[in-house]
Amino acid sequence: MIGNFLDQFWSLTFGGLSLGFIYILIALGYTMVYGVLRMINFANSEIFMVGTFATIIIIRDLFKFTQVSEYATGFRLWLILGTALIFAMLVSGILSMLVEMVAYRRLRRMNSGVLAPLISAIGVSMVLSESVRILTDSRPVASPRAMEKKFLGQFFDAGIRIDNTIIVISALVLFAILITFVNKTRMGKAIRAVSMNPNAARLMGINIDGVISATFLVGGLMTGAAGFFYTLKYENTSAFIGFELGIAAFTAAILGGIGNIKGAFYGGLALGLLETYASFFLGTQWKAVTVFIVLVLVLYTKPNGLFGEALTQTRA
Amino acid sequence: MFNLRDKGAEIWENQGRVGRIVIAVGAIAIVAALPFMGGTFLNTPIADYESVLVYPIAMFVLMAIGLNIVIGKSGLLDLGYVAFFAIGAYTMGLLGTKTGLNTWEILPIGIAMAMFSGIILGVPALKLRGDYLAIITLGFGEIVRIVALNLGALGRSEGILGIPTPPGFFGIEYAFDSHRIYYWTLLILILLAIWMVRRLSARRAGRAWESIRQDEDAAELLGVPTFKYKVWAFVLGASVGGAAGVLYASKTLFIAPDNFTLQISILILACVVFGGMGNIWGVILGAVILGYLPDRIRFLSEARLLVFGLVLVIMMNLRPDGILPRKKREKAIVKKDAS
Amino acid sequence: MKKRGLISVAAAAALAAASLVAVAPASNAAAKTITLAFQGPLTGEEASVGQDELAGMLYAIKLFNAKNKGKYVVKVVQADDQGDPAQSAKVAPGIASNKKIIGLVGAAYSGATIAALPYYKQRNLPMISPSATRVSITDPAAGNIGFPVFHRIPPTDKVQGPALFKLATKGVSSPKVFVVDDQSAYGVGLVDYMKPSIPAGQSAGFDSVSDKTTDWSATISKIKTAAANVVIYTGYFPQAAPFFKQLRDSGYTGILAGGDGVLSPTFVTLAPASVLEGVRLTAGTVPLAEIDAKLEADFVKKMGKASGVYAAESIDATNVFLAGIAKGVSTRAAMLKFVKSYSGKSLTGTTIKFDAYGDVAGGALNGFVVKGGVIKFDGPVK
Repeated sequence: MIGNFLDQFWSLTFGGLSLGFIYILIALGYTMVYGVLRMINFANSEIFMVGTFATIIIIRDLFKFTQVSEYATGFRLWLILGTALIFAMLVSGILSMLVEMVAYRRLRRMNSGVLAPLISAIGVSMVLSESVRILTDSRPVASPRAMEKKFLGQFFDAGIRIDNTIIVISALVLFAILITFVNKTRMGKAIRAVSMNPNAARLMGINIDGVISATFLVGGLMTGAAGFFYTLKYENTSAFIGFELGIAAFTAAILGGIGNIKGAFYGGLALGLLETYASFFLGTQWKAVTVFIVLVLVLYTKPNGLFGEALTQTRA
Repeated sequence: MFNLRDKGAEIWENQGRVGRIVIAVGAIAIVAALPFMGGTFLNTPIADYESVLVYPIAMFVLMAIGLNIVIGKSGLLDLGYVAFFAIGAYTMGLLGTKTGLNTWEILPIGIAMAMFSGIILGVPALKLRGDYLAIITLGFGEIVRIVALNLGALGRSEGILGIPTPPGFFGIEYAFDSHRIYYWTLLILILLAIWMVRRLSARRAGRAWESIRQDEDAAELLGVPTFKYKVWAFVLGASVGGAAGVLYASKTLFIAPDNFTLQISILILACVVFGGMGNIWGVILGAVILGYLPDRIRFLSEARLLVFGLVLVIMMNLRPDGILPRKKREKAIVKKDAS
Repeated sequence: MKKRGLISVAAAAALAAASLVAVAPASNAAAKTITLAFQGPLTGEEASVGQDELAGMLYAIKLFNAKNKGKYVVKVVQADDQGDPAQSAKVAPGIASNKKIIGLVGAAYSGATIAALPYYKQRNLPMISPSATRVSITDPAAGNIGFPVFHRIPPTDKVQGPALFKLATKGVSSPKVFVVDDQSAYGVGLVDYMKPSIPAGQSAGFDSVSDKTTDWSATISKIKTAAANVVIYTGYFPQAAPFFKQLRDSGYTGILAGGDGVLSPTFVTLAPASVLEGVRLTAGTVPLAEIDAKLEADFVKKMGKASGVYAAESIDATNVFLAGIAKGVSTRAAMLKFVKSYSGKSLTGTTIKFDAYGDVAGGALNGFVVKGGVIKFDGPVK
């Protein structure tokens, strides 16, 4: 078993890493919102799901790819991928903002605690996934392959595939942009201020509603990007794709320390690798069990997750 | 806003002993007569009205009461409540088919198993707080289902077949299709659970839970053994879920891991919050509505779950504290605490 | 599959209209109204199987109603059980006590079937399932839980398991077979009945993967470690396509095979044609397009979407009841008697005749191979 594991180590690791980067982006959707509102944004999984469909609309319906099409190359390929990424991000970002306005805003103004928005979010999830299910005849949908999945090179025994490489690099870039946004821009600082102390932030003249909308927008953009990368890598989706991935990403956010952007990063990577290794060693059916046992152990030793809770480290 | 809960409490408190007995007996009589009202507008299209009364309605009510002890009374977010329901059901399934024990003999065993697993889960999980507890309990619910799915002794995905119905007594027969009998049995269990919760709430445990819910740190400082009472709430909640599970298995004759998905946990949580967390009457009403609604709107065909989701969103926005919220006085404290 | 925009409200509306037409009450007073029911998952995560089967049933009824205009109008009660035994147990008594219903197509899933059976048996409602393949339902040794009301069109897991193995290893000189199930009762059942037919030394390993899985890299690593040259997936098409795709993309060049849960026209739309080239499938029936391209075209025209998984089985199941209705059967007892003694042709021309326990007697399995993005009939599995 160990020998086999060493044989497969690098290909498992690459698989786990690219899955981990998708988790990171979805986890950001949870963690940003949690940081500001202390609320589990349950509908985030459906925002991801809509992002996957947005990608397919571009590839299949705008650029007319089918399962027997020639692969795109060169400039056209990058144009297609770029359009799909931006479209998916925008659709998810805007939807995320809308969800906040429809499902959470009123509750937040009424100071209703965390559970009422949670149930409202569950309702939104049902509405979104059932609507998409009806629109797709309850069938799974595939994104036709626009890019040939070629190997760029070999690392020990494992092939380095182009889609995984794109995911890792783009996710890193997006993550760097996000960090810069949160730390350097005015809006980013306002988000951090609201996360630290909403009342003080309001007294300082920060428009709380605007900041919260922006937080949902940013979280949605990241989740939409995850939808694009997911579709690029796995090429299949359905109206219910979000549920499992959403829970996995939420677990990743908690593992790293929810509310903490860096925590989402390491949590996502750790979860992607952990799931892949555990599936190989113990059998895929015990994957979820292993993940939760590890989560309990981590939270037991580090009650705020691996990297602590807050968007900033100042909150007690 | 008009507060139904306060109105109801007012009427109740202004009554003398006789008046209260009359109200209570009247209410129980109406609820007990529900199976006979299948011919009215209450009837559910396609699904059988009387079986809908048993599952989901009565089962959801029982589970919601149990979950309310955990969430409403002590403020612990449990997203894996279905685990206790599953443990009760599998206890019934295993013992009922492998040993000669009958449902009434297995009932205490099932409750004990659920309580025991409540301790197993509760002691490590309750050291954590808030949303972390949510994900740990969610994980526990999934673990129970996955274990049932993979252990040969539990029938794996095929589940357990041929679970016996409860033996009758006093000439009452529990046939698999005598939905009314099960409904009334569940009604008795529900009344017992209500009685237990109300009794505990008025005593030391109730005061301890209330203090934990409002401010855990302050409670700890004032000498309330918060951890002990949290585990206690968890275990009591588990016992109710276990009891529901035993009866459920004994009613459906067949259980499989598909019956115990995360969606059930989420639904029960929705029942509690939708009805009015912390107020047992609200929780019951929430479970009745959310258990009943999907079957009542079957005429919507494909769109029924979509509409169900919409109802959740709209109602939570209109009544964030639930349909019958807890007392105003308690709410005021929570408000202050939250701001 | 006819291509169209994703957010095609028009198509959804057409579908809704189509199903409304099928259940619309008779305007012709002389026609006799007969009610059948369908039970399966129509909402929620499992809806893909139920909606495809329901479309098959409604299609058959549409043809029948058009042909028997003025004589019979067949209506359908759609009982949504979400594929969940718990939901099934409350739908079943409702269907069973609705005296207008004289036959039931379904339940789609074996678990839901077992939960519903006590009620249907009690009220003597004949049922024909297009997809509940669990062996124990018709196995006298398991206590005859389906007898006498239960019948089914597809061969059981006991027949399909070994046949699938045979087809997958056909022409392979030294097969090393890796079997992956989807943890559903269907998938695990197929594996359980396949196992005894695997000769010593030909098994390369097993894996059991939840049907919610999207990343298959761990399973793929196991397959590579085991150096398997035949991979069999026992599950449904929504998972089969991504699994096969990821496996091929990782460099696997051996044989891929699956059972009737994979045999859906949707399956080939879920992965590039080059990836699915050569995938071997078994099923008791044949996809509509393979029986006759005109049949599929007509289906698309009438139902507003391509036929799906278990479509042919649903049409066959419905046709058995419709044949009875055409003979004037209008009660449950008469229908049950009719179904028991029924002998007729399926869509593919084989004989449908139920044995005493409700299985199609001598149900043989057909082999299929995916060629150029189309599922092609490849002769019976021998």
